[in-house]
Amino acid sequence: MLRRLKFIGALGVMLLLALMVCAGQRFPPPDFESGYRLPSASTPAARQLWLQYADAGVLLAALGIAVWLIYRKRSRRGLFWLSLFSLAYFGFYRKGCVCPIGSPQNIVYGLCNPDYTVPVTVLIFCFAPIVVALFAGRAFCAGVCPQGALQDFVLIKPVAVPLWLEQALSVVPYLFLGAGLIYAGTGTGFVICRYDPFVPFFRLSGGLFILTAGAAFLLAGMVVGRPYCRFLCPYGGLLRLASLVSKWRVRVTPDSCTQCRLCEQSCPFGAMREPAPSGTHPKWLGAERKRLGWLLALLPALVAAGVWAGSKLSPAAAQLHPAVALAERYTRQQSHPIQYGLMTPEALSLERAAEDPKAVLTAAADLRHRFDLACGLFGGWIGLVIGFKLVALSVRPSRTDFEPDRGACLACARCFTACPNERVRLGLMPAAGDPALS
Amino acid sequence: MNTSPLHRALILTAWIAGAFCLLVCGVMVYGHFEAATNDPWKSPQLLALREKLAAEPKNQPLQKEIRQLDLEFRRNFRHRLAMDKTGAWLLLGGTLALVLAAGKAAALKKTLPLPQPKPDAGEQSIKLASRARWSLAGVGLVVAGSLLIIRLGNTSVLPANQAVWQKLLGRSGAQEAPVGDAPVLSEFQANWPRFRGWDGSGAAAWDSKTMPGILWRSAIPAPGHSSPIVWGDRVFISGGTADRREVFCYNAANGALLWQRAIENVPGSPLKMSEAPEDAGCAAPTMATDGRRVYAIFANGDLGALNFDGSVVWTKYLGPIKNPYGYAASLAVWGNHLLIQLDQGETRAEGSKLISLQGASGRVLWERSRPVPASWATPIVIEAAGQTQIITLADPWVIAYTLADGNELWRAQLLENEVVPSPVFAGGFVLVLSPGSKLMALRPDGTGDVTKTGVAWATEENVPDIASPVGNGELVFTVTSGGMATCFGANDGKKIWETNLDTEVQASPGLLGGRLFILGEYGALVTLQAGRELHEMGRTQLPDKFDASPAFANGHVFLRGVTNLYCLGPAVVKLAKQP
Amino acid sequence: MDAKPPVNGPVTRRQFLRNGARLMAMTGLGVAAGALATRSTGAAWVWQIDPAKCLHCGNCATQCVLEQSAVKCVHAYAVCGYCQLCTGFFWPEPNALTTAAENQLCPTAALQRTYVEDPYYQYSIDEQLCIGCAKCVEGCSRFGNGSLFLQIRHDRCLNCNECAIARTCPGEAFRRAPVEHPYLLKTTSR
Repeated sequence: MLRRLKFIGALGVMLLLALMVCAGQRFPPPDFESGYRLPSASTPAARQLWLQYADAGVLLAALGIAVWLIYRKRSRRGLFWLSLFSLAYFGFYRKGCVCPIGSPQNIVYGLCNPDYTVPVTVLIFCFAPIVVALFAGRAFCAGVCPQGALQDFVLIKPVAVPLWLEQALSVVPYLFLGAGLIYAGTGTGFVICRYDPFVPFFRLSGGLFILTAGAAFLLAGMVVGRPYCRFLCPYGGLLRLASLVSKWRVRVTPDSCTQCRLCEQSCPFGAMREPAPSGTHPKWLGAERKRLGWLLALLPALVAAGVWAGSKLSPAAAQLHPAVALAERYTRQQSHPIQYGLMTPEALSLERAAEDPKAVLTAAADLRHRFDLACGLFGGWIGLVIGFKLVALSVRPSRTDFEPDRGACLACARCFTACPNERVRLGLMPAAGDPALS
Repeated sequence: MNTSPLHRALILTAWIAGAFCLLVCGVMVYGHFEAATNDPWKSPQLLALREKLAAEPKNQPLQKEIRQLDLEFRRNFRHRLAMDKTGAWLLLGGTLALVLAAGKAAALKKTLPLPQPKPDAGEQSIKLASRARWSLAGVGLVVAGSLLIIRLGNTSVLPANQAVWQKLLGRSGAQEAPVGDAPVLSEFQANWPRFRGWDGSGAAAWDSKTMPGILWRSAIPAPGHSSPIVWGDRVFISGGTADRREVFCYNAANGALLWQRAIENVPGSPLKMSEAPEDAGCAAPTMATDGRRVYAIFANGDLGALNFDGSVVWTKYLGPIKNPYGYAASLAVWGNHLLIQLDQGETRAEGSKLISLQGASGRVLWERSRPVPASWATPIVIEAAGQTQIITLADPWVIAYTLADGNELWRAQLLENEVVPSPVFAGGFVLVLSPGSKLMALRPDGTGDVTKTGVAWATEENVPDIASPVGNGELVFTVTSGGMATCFGANDGKKIWETNLDTEVQASPGLLGGRLFILGEYGALVTLQAGRELHEMGRTQLPDKFDASPAFANGHVFLRGVTNLYCLGPAVVKLAKQP
Repeated sequence: MDAKPPVNGPVTRRQFLRNGARLMAMTGLGVAAGALATRSTGAAWVWQIDPAKCLHCGNCATQCVLEQSAVKCVHAYAVCGYCQLCTGFFWPEPNALTTAAENQLCPTAALQRTYVEDPYYQYSIDEQLCIGCAKCVEGCSRFGNGSLFLQIRHDRCLNCNECAIARTCPGEAFRRAPVEHPYLLKTTSR
C-alpha cells in the first residue's frame, strides 16, 4: 500500500512534467524502425439483425403450427414434438432470450423512457402470442414457450392441486406482472428476467441461488404440472386474460359431451371444469346475489386500500434502483462511514457520488417521486386483481359440459384422448354399436 | 399390482440417473466453494505471499513459491471451468435419462380413470367456491403481510417527505452564522492576517520610500513552507515534522520568540503521523488569524486554534488528507468564518470539501462537497456583485460560494494540471492561473456555469505554475518559477513588459504601494517598479533560501526563510540581537 | 372435422361481450404497438461498455451470467506506448522486468509481452485466458496511456434483456449499442 503510494508519488512528479509537454498521451507513440506493423483489435460481430427477424419468423410459424395442431389435427403427439422443437430452438439455441415472458417489461420501459426504443422483433415477440391467444387461446403455452416445454417434459406423475387452492393462487402471476412492470417503467431493471428460474439452464450457467431455484422448480415440476406457468408466469397472466375472450376455445371433443366424466382427471394442470350444477335452490340464489353485491362494492374499496398501502412501499421498493441505492449508500456514508476496500465497486461508486452529490441526490429524489406513483399503482393493481377474482369466484359459471377453463387451459391437447367420443372420432376406438366390438 | 421387470429396470435407471445428477451437482458446488481460496485473482494466500516478497525482494525460494502457487491456481481455474462445462452437459444428460425412465415407468403404471358417483355435486361446488374465496382472501392477507414486513424492514435513509428532501438538496436557507466577536474591517485590513494579506491579494497599500534592510532575523526551530502572518505586534508562523507540529509567536519589533505551542493530542488524530509528505512537508499551509485567535492547519489534518498568549482554544482533526504532494492550501478567515479548502484525491475527488468553521468554537457552520481532486491553491473572499463570495480553485473548476451558507454561486471549467497558484481579485476581475497554461480574468457576477461567458480575457504568455499573481487594478504581475516577471494590462491582459530576473522563484510576489517585491529562491529580493515601464529599483541578496511568500505589516516586510524569519524595514541594515 | 363449436342461432350476449372485449384488446395492442413501432428504427440493441466511464472495479469478471465472462480486455495498439515497464503488465514496483509470476499483474497470464525492438515491447491479450478483471486496465489507465480497456465480446455475450453486470456497474458504463456497431473502441488516450 505504502509502496504503491511511493510509486504513485514518484511517477507523479514525472507525470507533471510530461503532462506539461504533451497534453495528450503520457507516453508518446513509438517510432518503430524495424518495420513493425500495429495489429488491430479484433471485433467479432454480434448476432446479425436478420437472424433476429428469423427468430420472430420462427415464432410466428410455431404459433401457427400450434394453432393448427390444437384445432385442426387435435394431436397431442404433434404438440409434443413441436414443444420439443421450441425447447431446442428458443430454449437451448437462443438461450431463452429474447422471450415473450419478459417482453412486456420492454414495452413498458419503452413507453416510459423516451431514450429507449423497443426493437421491432421484441414487439413481435410480445404481441404475437397475445393476438393468437385472443383468437385461439393459449397456443403459445402449449407448443412454443421453451420454459413451458421444459416443465412439460419433466412432468412424470402429476398430482392434482385442489381446485380452490389453484384458483386462489392464480392471482400471484398478476402480482409478479405488476411488480415487473413497475420496475421496468421506473427504469430499475427487468426483474422478471432476473428471476426466471429456467433460463440459467438454457445458458448452462448461472448463480448458485437462481440455479437452485430452477432445480427446485424442475423437481416440483416432476409432480406438479407446470408450476411456473400456473402460479408465477406473468405473461401467462396476460394470456389468461386474452384467452377469456378468445374466439375459439379448446374443447375436449367437438362433438357433444355425454357427461361420462372420464376426462375429469385427465388435465395435469387442473384446468378441467365440471358443468354447473343444475338448478339452484332459491334460498341459495338470494344469498349468492347478496354476496356478489357485497364483493362488487368491496372492489373499489380494495383498490383504494391498495393504492394507499402501495404508496407506503415506495422507500423500500425504490432501493432496488441503482441510482437510489447509490444515493442511499452516499447518505449513509456521511453519518456512519464504512471503510470499503480500495478499488472495490462500493468505494468507487461512493467516489463517483462525492464528485457531484447534488446530482446524485436530485436523481434519487426524482426517482422516489416516480416510485411513489408507481407503487401506488401497484397496490391498486393488487387490490383490483384480488377484488376481481373474488367477484369471479362468486359468479356462477354457465357451463353445461365438461370443458377446460378458458383462462387456465394451456391447450396441451392431453384431454382429447381421454374422451371416448373423441377416440371414436379419431378412429382410435370402435364406436358403441360397431360390429367390430364383439 | 405386480411390477414387471421392465418397470423395475426403469425405476432403477431413474434412481441411478437421479443419483448421478446429484453427484455431478455436488462436485460442481464443491468446486465453486473451493474457488474462494484458490482463485488466482483474489486468493488471500497469494496476496499475502506477494506482500512478503515486496518486503524481501531478493528472496529466491519465496519467488519460487509464488510461481508454484500461481501456476497451481491457474491450472485449477482452467480445470474448474472445463469441469463446469462438462458437468453441465452431464447434468443435462442425466436429467434426460431420469425423466425418460421415470416417465416411462409412470406410463406403465398408469391407472384408468374410474369416476365415482357424486350425488351432492351442487353443494360441493358451492362449498368449493366458498373455500376458494376464503383462500384467496388468505393469499391477499399473506401478500399484505409480506408487504407490511417489507415496509417495516425498510432501511432507507433518504427522506420520506418533500420538505425534508428540499432541505437535503440544500434548497432551503442554511443556518445563519452566529454573530461572534469578529474583527472590524479596518482592523482586519491594517494587518496581514492570512496568506497574501487580508484579501489574499498579496498587496499592501502603504509604501516605504527607502529600500528595506534587515531589521532583525530569528531562527525558526521547525521546518515548514508556510508564510508568516502578522497582527499587531505579533508575527506567527507554523512549522513541524512528522513527530511534532508547532506554532511560533515572535515579537514583531525585535524578533524575540515569545512562545511556541505544539498542536498535539487532537481528538481523532492518530498519535503518530505516518510520515511527512515529501514535497510540501507538514507545515505548508499558512496560518490565519481574526485578531482574536490564531489558526494553524498541518498536512496530517490537525487544525488548532490558539489565543494570542499561546493557550489552546480548540483543536480539530480533519484528516487523513489524501493529497499526493502534501496538503498546502492555506487557511482563510472572514468575519467569524474560518475557511478550509480541503481538496483531496489524486485523479478524482475523494472527499474534497470546503468547510466553514466558527472561529471562536471550531463548530462547523457549513460544509460543501467539491467535485475536484487535490489542489494546493488558497481560497480568497471577495465582495463582488452584491455578494460575499469565496473563490476556490482546483482542477478543473473555479467555483464561487456564498460566505454565509456555502451555496454555489458560479463555476467555470477553466483549469488544468496541478493547481498551485491562488486567485486574486483586482480591477474588478478574479485573476486565476491555469498553471503553465493560461492567466485568465473572470467576471465575478455570473451564476451557474460561466465557463463560456465568464472569462473577460486570457493570456498564455509566461504563465507561472507556482507563484500566484498580484495586481493593483491597472496592472497584473506574474512571476514564473524560472524567474520571468511579466506585467499585463488589467483590463485586457495584454503584455506590457517582461524581464528575466535570473533567479528561480517559488514565493508569490507582493505589491507594496508602487513597488513589486519578488523573492527569489536563493535569497535575491528584487524590487521592480509596479508601473507601465520596466524599472528595477533594487536588488538585495539575503543570506537564506526562500519559498514562502512575504508579509507586509507595520511598515515592515516579513520573510520566512528556510532557517530564519526576517524582518525588513526602512531602517539601516542592522542585525538585531537575538534575545 | 371442424374445431369451431357450431354457432346455432343469433349471437348470444356472452359472445357479444366477448367479441367486444376482443376488439378493444386488439385496438389497445394496435395503439401500443404503433406508438412504439413509429419510434423504433428496426434496430436491435446489444450491450457495450463505455471505456470513458469504466472505473475498473472488477465486477465484469464476477457478475456476468456466463461462468467465463463475456467481457474481455481489448488493446488499442495505436494508443499504446509499447513501454518496457508497462504499468498494465507489471505488478507495482516489480522485482524484475520479466514474465515471472511474481512480477505480473494479470492473474491468468492473459496479457502477453513480446519484444519488438529496443526499447519497445508489444502487449497483447489472449482472450481465452482473460477473465475481464480490469487489473491491467487500472494499471494502464492510471500510469500509462490507457490503451487497455474492457469491452463486451459479442461472440460470447448472450445479450440478455437485462445485463447482470450493467446492473452493478459503479460507473454506469454499460449502454445499449446498435447491433451494427456493437463496439465502443478507444482511439485516444482519454
